[in-house]
Amino acid sequence: MTTDPGPSLPPRDPAAPAGAPLEQRFDGGSLYALRAAVSAHAAAAGLSNQRVYDVTAAVHEMAANAVLHGAGHGRLRMWTRDGFLHCQVSDAGPAGRDDSGAPPRAVPWPAEHGHGLWIVAQVTDKSSIDHGPAGTTVTARFALSPARRLARRSSAARRRTQSGRTTRYQHQCPRGRRRLLAWHAYGQFDARSRVSIPAIHRPAYGQRPEERSGTA
Amino acid sequence: MAADAGAQVTELTDEDHACLTFGEPEELADLTAAFIRDGLAGGLKVMWLSDASAAGAVVELARRGIDPAPALERGQLAAIACDGRLLAGQAFRARDAVAWLAAQLEASRRDGFPGLRVAVDMSWALRPVTGVQELPAFEEGIAAVLAGSTAAVLCQYDREKFDPVTLASVAGFHTRSVTAATYYADPLLRICRQYAPPGIRIAGELDYQAAEPLALALAETVRLGGDITVNMTALAFIDARCSLMVADAARTVAAASRRVRLRCLPEVAAGFARLGLGAVPGITMVTDDDH
Repeated sequence: MTTDPGPSLPPRDPAAPAGAPLEQRFDGGSLYALRAAVSAHAAAAGLSNQRVYDVTAAVHEMAANAVLHGAGHGRLRMWTRDGFLHCQVSDAGPAGRDDSGAPPRAVPWPAEHGHGLWIVAQVTDKSSIDHGPAGTTVTARFALSPARRLARRSSAARRRTQSGRTTRYQHQCPRGRRRLLAWHAYGQFDARSRVSIPAIHRPAYGQRPEERSGTA
Repeated sequence: MAADAGAQVTELTDEDHACLTFGEPEELADLTAAFIRDGLAGGLKVMWLSDASAAGAVVELARRGIDPAPALERGQLAAIACDGRLLAGQAFRARDAVAWLAAQLEASRRDGFPGLRVAVDMSWALRPVTGVQELPAFEEGIAAVLAGSTAAVLCQYDREKFDPVTLASVAGFHTRSVTAATYYADPLLRICRQYAPPGIRIAGELDYQAAEPLALALAETVRLGGDITVNMTALAFIDARCSLMVADAARTVAAASRRVRLRCLPEVAAGFARLGLGAVPGITMVTDDDH
């Protein structure tokens, strides 16, 4: 399915092919359709049921992040190249949205802001984020071969060990900084933007809710 | 007597002539199992009339934590076909069916049971059966038999298959209208209470946009007391926020020395395992499909 990417999104990533097999816009009301399309394309790429689910879950979280904390809508591109399934979510940034920094809506059960991104980091083999004045583009890559995936995992782990979990960058946009703070907290993202990231903590999922409330 | 709105299956008692409308087999089996479970617990004679075999009924009850074997052996429970009781082959006569029911009530009294519960799957009326136009007369006859008795009858209608005219024609003869307590329902998602075993059932696709009804359902489930089951066997997707809400509710219940069973697809279970639920005492994840 291909639709016009439109003018209000970041320019196409040079790595993305011009005619990606799946290119679909989304907003909060079309996440179901987005998930259905992602599942179909991931299955067609030959992934196992578990990996199809993981890809779908990761793309959902990336898209939900754009809906809730970004422009409120965005665009997904999916393609395969070099043994990876690439899923790229772009949005035009937080212009015109609430900049209070509050989570979108409180719910009775504790829901850690950002834990969706932690899930993304858990299931992807490699991911990157590109943030700029035109918006944010996040690309998640899933190895099509399990052996290759393991190799990539080991490589990513080595990089984290060498560089530590927090990296200091400089950044111009306070709102974008907050979003990137969440991304970098949980994952293996290659930052191409320049963002200043303070020390942060991962949600302590092994703890009970009342214990977790004491963490960041 | 006209049916009141929205009674719970666990509230049914003597003389109740209840109309259960269901939308899917899982909902029917759940509500029927709760009706049977409560009847057996009260020492009543219980009869389950359906198109399913007795063996199938036993499996269905066992899947919901009810061991029917002792009750079957002592004659307290009967899982039987409609054919030969309410029907004679492809022929239905309301007068005969009501007479059969009255005879069962009398037999249960003779056998020393304090009361009788009968669950009747009405799907037979969807088949090409002669005399099916006597259905309203049958329901009216049941109401007459139940008046002043210690019996209750649960008539089960598939609301997707029975036409509204038929449902309307029989509704007036029921004292209660029974459905599962529903927290959320749209074409993509359904969150409702599960009665046997107690808990909630979530079917479809669940994401942050349904966090509010999910929170209500979980909160009520936690307040139920006892062990709980979160039945997600028909849940195709759950996002991170809702996964964490379910996980937190499960941890809360397990921390009170109650057991929590999460029934779900393997792909969904992997997400809960990622949240650390696999190592929490009292929380069990069940992914085998034993339908």
